[in-house]
Parts: sequence; C-alpha cells; structure tokens
Amino acid sequence: MKLDVRGEVCPYPMLKAVEAMKKLRGSEEVVLVTDHAPCLDTIPAQAPRFGYSYAVAETGSPEWTITLTPAGGAR
Amino acid sequence: MLIGAAALAIPMAQQDGVFAALWGLGLAAGFTLQRSRFCFASAFRDLFLFGSARILKAILLGLAVATVGFAAIMRAAVPFPGPELLPPQAHVLPVGISTILGGVLFGFGMVLSGGCVSGSLYRAAEGYIASWVSLAGVVVGLGFISQTWNWWWAAVISFEPKPWLPAIGGLGYAGALALTFAALVAAFVFLTWWEARAGVVTPAATEGAPAVTFRERIAKVWQTVFVRGWPAAVGGAVLGGIVVVMYTIHMPWGVTGELTRWSNAAMSLAGAVPPAPLGLDDIGGCAALAQETGLFGHTFSVTVGVLPGALVGALFAKEFKLRFPRNAVRYAQSLGGGVLMGLGAGLAIGCTIGAFFSAIPSLSISGWLFAVALAGGSYLGVQAIRRIP
Repeated sequence: MKLDVRGEVCPYPMLKAVEAMKKLRGSEEVVLVTDHAPCLDTIPAQAPRFGYSYAVAETGSPEWTITLTPAGGAR
Repeated sequence: MLIGAAALAIPMAQQDGVFAALWGLGLAAGFTLQRSRFCFASAFRDLFLFGSARILKAILLGLAVATVGFAAIMRAAVPFPGPELLPPQAHVLPVGISTILGGVLFGFGMVLSGGCVSGSLYRAAEGYIASWVSLAGVVVGLGFISQTWNWWWAAVISFEPKPWLPAIGGLGYAGALALTFAALVAAFVFLTWWEARAGVVTPAATEGAPAVTFRERIAKVWQTVFVRGWPAAVGGAVLGGIVVVMYTIHMPWGVTGELTRWSNAAMSLAGAVPPAPLGLDDIGGCAALAQETGLFGHTFSVTVGVLPGALVGALFAKEFKLRFPRNAVRYAQSLGGGVLMGLGAGLAIGCTIGAFFSAIPSLSISGWLFAVALAGGSYLGVQAIRRIP
C-alpha cells in the first residue's frame, strides 16, 4: 500500500500510517512518502506496536520514504 | 542568510545593545527549535493520541535547567522574597479562571492547527504555508482580547492572585526550588508510568559507521549538529539554557507580546485603536512588553529572531521547502486553531513559552496550572482531530 502524505503535518502522517497498519494487519507492506521531518521520529515509534519493522530512506530534498514491512507475518 | 540576520544586529545595537544581544539569542532559539523539531503541541497531543511523552520529558529537562538559572537571577534581584515584591520581568502570572480558560483554548487550538505559537514560527520559516495562516489567526485572536481586555480585567483577572512560591509560607528560594524540583520529578515519574501503560517503545537510534580519521570525525560533528535532527532532550536542555541567558540579559523568553504588538498596530492602522489596557503594569510577562513602540524592541528580537534562526537550521539540513496543504480543510484548521490560540494566549498572558516554559522557572504557580489546562485542551483537541480526516 502506498501513502503519499506530502504537504501533511503532524499528526496526520502518523495517523494515516497507523490506520494503514491496523487495516492491513501485516498482510502487506506500507510505503509512505513525506516531506515532514518530525515523522521520522514518530512513525518508526509506532511500527513495532503493529508488528511492523521500518526503514527510512532520504528520497528527495526534503523528502523521505518510510517503508513499513510486516515482521513475522500477520498478528 | 546568516550574514543578513547578523547584519540586522547593527541597527539594533545602535538603538539599544540589549536588542542586539537578544536578537542573537532569538536566532539561537529558532535554530534549536528547528534542529530538535521541538513542538509543544505534539508534546501534549501525543500523550493522548499515542501515549508518548518523549517531548514532554524533554520539556521537563529544559524546565529543570531554566529553574536553577531563574532562581539565581531572581535571588540577585530580590534577596528577601515577600508577597508584595516580585522580581522584575519574572513571569509570575494571575492564577484563576483566566489561566484555565486560556490554557484550554490554547491547548485545543494548538492541536487543531498542528503547532503552538513558537512551533508555527519555526515551521513558517521552514516553508510551511499553513503555519503562516496559523500565525495570522493568532494575531486575530490576540486582537480580540486587546479590544475586550478591560472587560476581562474588571470581571475576572483583577480578582486573581499571582502566587509566587518563594513568597508563600516562608518557603524562600530553597523551599521553592525544592518544591519545583519535586514536582518536576513527580511529573517525570508519572509520564514514565503513562508511557509504560500505553506500551510505547522508543526505537533505538541507529548509529552510522564509526568515524576514524580526523576528517571523518569533523564530518560527523557537522552531521550531528547541522544535518541530522537533535534528540528532543538535547533541544530541551539547550532551550532551558537559552531562556536563562535571555533573562540574565533582560527578560525571560516570550513570543506572544510581539504578536500582540502586531495585532494592535494593525488594528490602529485600520482605525480601531484598542483601549489602553488596565492592570498590565502590575503583571509581568508578554503582555506588559506589548506596550513597546518602534520596530525593534525586546520582543521583536526574541520573536522575529526565531524565523531566520530556524531558516538557517532548515537550509543547513536541506529541510526548507514551500509546503502547501493539499487538503483545503487544513487551512481552516490552521486559521481556527490560530484564533483559539490567540484568545487563549491573550487571556493567560502568554503561550506555551511565556506562560509555561518561562513561568514555571519563574517559580510561579500559574505555569503549573496553565500546563494542566493545556493538557485538558489538548485532550479535547485530540478528540476533534480524530473526527477530521
């Protein structure tokens, strides 16, 4: 699932990431694109709660892609 | 940019050396806010949204640093504290309905708009258009309070006490410091329990390859300071230090006074001159300083200075970008939240900086009550934004 949350500020990027992880229940990875730096702290903090691991890549200036991967299948 | 901002200190210094010194501290504060992504709105909001207290704990650290410094400064000014004698410029504010109502309105507004006044200032400099809309809303809200201040004064605020801990029950500075630190530790323990209850896990920081050569070591320092975001706790401690230096030079940090000046100037230009405010001469904090005239002033330095300071931080880190919300509802949220923050800051005589971050270290009870009210307003704000997709 791809989420483009560029232009959104806290807490919306995190809320949308959490919503997606809740809905997918680890069945699919979530790829989120953001230009809001605080997300780099807030979204990774939520990932383990829903059984996801995360990877952050700088894909623009300023733009980041956060990939949330199900860790150990559906919970 | 940096040179331009520094050059502006020259005309200030010609007018008053203190303005230039505070301008430098305003720049430092803006840089620190940007680097550590220090956000008072998220500090309170995330408590209720996700059970996270990461930034609020960093604020507690900053308060601890500032409390020690403020106590030393106030003790030098007023060696024998008494109820009738408050230290000059200390943010000892009225405690009562105005504090609670102001805090709730402000807390709700900052969650709705996504940033408090200082947060909107540094985000405005990072290129967030919605933050400019929030600031405009704040100016509107403050204007409403300016126009109606004398009613609030006569009906509510003139009856409210301004309790200052060192003057209560013979506590003195030692007792007031001990009490404040006990409260800060209690708040820290409570927040830790709150996080444990919510099951929040803070991810461990990822360390890059270790630096070996001289060149790599210097590059690593540069990366840590100017490129990567600072840990929130570092930001809190540095801000605590900055407010102490500000107070050493002249006054604690506050950003509402300058915005009140803009609001009053704009209304005066439009022919709606606000009435002369009653009672403000006896009240410290942001409102008292809003009476300054001229472009440069104490409040100009520590408020407008945040903008170039944050912009420099954003440019070093390549985080500057004009960002327009795609969802039109966000503009309405920013404006509405801004107006509510303006009303709240007008009533409480300060925002998360002046009535909280500079008030608790002033050993004022108002700062604690304002913080509780901010939390209450944030809780209501979280309920609201959950319903706004």
